[in-house]
Amino acid sequence: MVRKELIRRSPLRALEKSLKEPLKKGELAVVASPKGIGKTGCLVHIATDALLQGKQVIHVSFSTRTDHIISWYEDIFKEVARKLNAAMEVHDEIIRHRVIMSFNQEGVKTQQIIRSLTAMIRDGNFAADQIIVDGYNFALATSEDLRLIKQFANEVGVTIWFSATVKPENEKIWNRDFPPSLKPFENLIDVLITLGESEGNILVRLVKDRDSYPMKDLSVHLDPKTLMIVEEKK
Amino acid sequence: MMDISKMRNIGISAHIDSGKTTLTERILYYCDKIHMIHEVKGKDGHGATMDYMELERERGITITSASTNVTWKGHTINIIDTPGHVDFTIEVERSLRVLDGAILVLCSVGGVQSQSITVDRQLRRYNVPFVAFINKLDRTGANPYKVKEQIRDKLGHNAVLVQIPIGLEDKFQGVVDLIQMKALYFEGPNGEEVVEREIPAELRAEAEKRREELIDAASLFSDELAEAFLEGAETESQIYAALRKGVLTRKLIPVFMGSAYKNKGVQPLLDGVVHYLPNPSEVKNTALDLNDGEKEVVLKADPKEPLVALAFKLEEGQYGQLTYIRIYQGMLRKGDELYNPRLRRKFKVGRLIRMHAHEMEDITEAVCGDIVALFGIDCASGDTFCSPGINYSMTSMYIPAPVISLAVFPKDKASADQMAKALGRFTKEDPTFRTYVDPESNQTIIQGMGELHLDVYIERMKREYRAEVETGMPQVAYRETITQRAEFDYTHKKQTGGAGQFGRVAGYMEPCEEKEYEFVNMIKGGVIPNEFIPSCDKGFQAARTKGTLIGFPVVNIRCVINDGSTHPVDSSDIAFQQAAIGAFRQAYEKAKPIILEPIMKVTVEGPSEFQGNIFGSLNQRRGIIVSSTEDNNFCRIEAEVPLSEMFGYSTVLRSLTQGKAEFSMEFLKYGRVPNTIAEELKKAYQEKRRKEQK
Repeated sequence: MVRKELIRRSPLRALEKSLKEPLKKGELAVVASPKGIGKTGCLVHIATDALLQGKQVIHVSFSTRTDHIISWYEDIFKEVARKLNAAMEVHDEIIRHRVIMSFNQEGVKTQQIIRSLTAMIRDGNFAADQIIVDGYNFALATSEDLRLIKQFANEVGVTIWFSATVKPENEKIWNRDFPPSLKPFENLIDVLITLGESEGNILVRLVKDRDSYPMKDLSVHLDPKTLMIVEEKK
Repeated sequence: MMDISKMRNIGISAHIDSGKTTLTERILYYCDKIHMIHEVKGKDGHGATMDYMELERERGITITSASTNVTWKGHTINIIDTPGHVDFTIEVERSLRVLDGAILVLCSVGGVQSQSITVDRQLRRYNVPFVAFINKLDRTGANPYKVKEQIRDKLGHNAVLVQIPIGLEDKFQGVVDLIQMKALYFEGPNGEEVVEREIPAELRAEAEKRREELIDAASLFSDELAEAFLEGAETESQIYAALRKGVLTRKLIPVFMGSAYKNKGVQPLLDGVVHYLPNPSEVKNTALDLNDGEKEVVLKADPKEPLVALAFKLEEGQYGQLTYIRIYQGMLRKGDELYNPRLRRKFKVGRLIRMHAHEMEDITEAVCGDIVALFGIDCASGDTFCSPGINYSMTSMYIPAPVISLAVFPKDKASADQMAKALGRFTKEDPTFRTYVDPESNQTIIQGMGELHLDVYIERMKREYRAEVETGMPQVAYRETITQRAEFDYTHKKQTGGAGQFGRVAGYMEPCEEKEYEFVNMIKGGVIPNEFIPSCDKGFQAARTKGTLIGFPVVNIRCVINDGSTHPVDSSDIAFQQAAIGAFRQAYEKAKPIILEPIMKVTVEGPSEFQGNIFGSLNQRRGIIVSSTEDNNFCRIEAEVPLSEMFGYSTVLRSLTQGKAEFSMEFLKYGRVPNTIAEELKKAYQEKRRKEQK
């Protein structure tokens, strides 16, 4: 299969179509779920899709083992590119467009993260289109922190995807409502998606889409094995 | 005869500047072998005992892996001093081969640094059990707890403290032994008296807590200890035994600490070496039986078996060549006859030597497990010696291909002679260092693993051999390869006087991922007679040594022949070689050849404030930044950068970061050269050829 076709058939197109319009530069999107549902896989899939489209991605993580993150990408790329011609060449090209920046969770300030990202984009001459922030601790963050991030996203022209961990005991609430732990950031989050387990399936729910609150389960869900986004079988 | 269970062969592995040489020096001192302590970098003009080469002293690093024998509490310990810089990796790996255990030295301030990671990977590859020693507890910012966590997080080891510090930085006084539950202080002018006292009251609770962690971790290796601990009746020997099991299987790393410079914590570390690291009989070693199709045989640490030993280090000493060997099986006596399978030659053992830091001791016999030296033996490092009657070779060591080369020009006749002598010596000592004379330019070329690697040998030529040499520009070892299949059908015909030559070969060439070169014979019906098939192979191999793009070897190529013709009189070995060369050239252009260059894995570490500068410098060098990791105010950046762009990087990095950042690099892979640069390389090559033809 050629690359164009692969991009066109990606289940992420279905996710995009569920939104009023695709995410723009300067916008913030959040994938929220309890621990262990599959946020990282989901974000890596989103990033891989962007990389295939020739975009440049910075993956921010808070784990000290960057090799773990790289193997996430390797696994998901293998899945995505199974049917692709000249997959190795594409692989080498997208590696050039991806950089992983990891921070020690304890005590790292939002300003420091922004400073390092700016250094990568400006000094490292890395023209990022998308930034993935996996494992950002919203519990310790203030709305001022997120405002700074949004301002940064606007200035450098990137879309930022976050993952956010919400507590499972609040599941009933967040399934119907905006997750309470993310309430303080409600105005700054443009798109919010939640993942929830239901009878062995991982459902993807669109909670917020800019100024509206659709609160609907999407036609895509998460494959419990690969943790990638897949389209529902009809 | 020496008791094998009381023997230890250990290495001391570390990041540069973590105090390895000082630690080694102190170990030698406490083992009562040397009587004065010199500081590294020779404040008193003597330098540390282990790194006696002048050059090393100047650079403050240790290059040769001399083995030194010491005695500690009835145990004999051979210390192999492993070099600390990545550019000399082969030396480290060769030493690791003969070690049974190691001490990983970490700086209490710097913690796990890029090179610690490299060294750890090497220890893993050779499955070497080790204990950790956190050094420099007297330094400002010392934090052994943090370093222990880094061993867990960054290296992924089950690190467990067996000591805790009494005070830190300028208040560092001693350590608490968590097994004996005693405070240890180091008194006397050079800390030679270990004094046991009660644990200071303020550390009591912390010590109890850490002891519990230690026993919890150790219990996993001993049910006996686990049960005894539940009843509160655990004994010291139970704890030692359990920890030892964990260390030998590399599932637990005991963490010691101290300050070698301040003479604190060294003796308990030596006790740890004896307690936890394996004796030679506890390590499985194998050899290949050359008489039995290289079948793997397990060596027995038994003096009664035939001898098997490995020559791991050659040294040019005052009295001739010294060969360090590790005996794996059997026993060696002065006057024995040995066999070298590589040279297929027997030789006699004249003098048998045990090396101490500065003196050598003549001995009459040595048993398996031991490390000794022989005088005046003609061999190369990596050779196996065995008793006549067996034909074993120790598994060949992994030797990476050199990635950089440099032309060297002697200044005068005397220098030329000395240079030849030096090069002969270096290539024997170090398999990653190679040399040859380029047949076209008639220049002597040296090859190695990096800029610094070659620099050191140039320096050694000057100092040790008084060979004045000038050097050319460093040259990267490029490769060429093809990207698509292409057919050939070539006839070589020559009929000018004398015997004619005739040969025709047809087939195709194609890319071959798995191998550097492969030859496939698909000739049917003998259209090329069997006797000339190897001639075709030879011809292709000759042609691929020099690609037509820039004159570098062609790799990852498969040559397949499936047709041809022959002449009853005029066909010959030479004729088919020539035909294959012609066929190769015919198809090569059509196969869309490209140029490959060595890509290095570069790791830069430094304060976060310089992150931007580091990113920029890598980006300018066509580097791909793979990841950056920030911890407190320290960052580690991993990148893939073409070797050709890394010349002089150490100077650039120093000036960009006020000397606060450092980098290491190792060969990663060959990668495609971008088109614009490939065009420049081709142009330069054509220019060079034109000049040569004039």
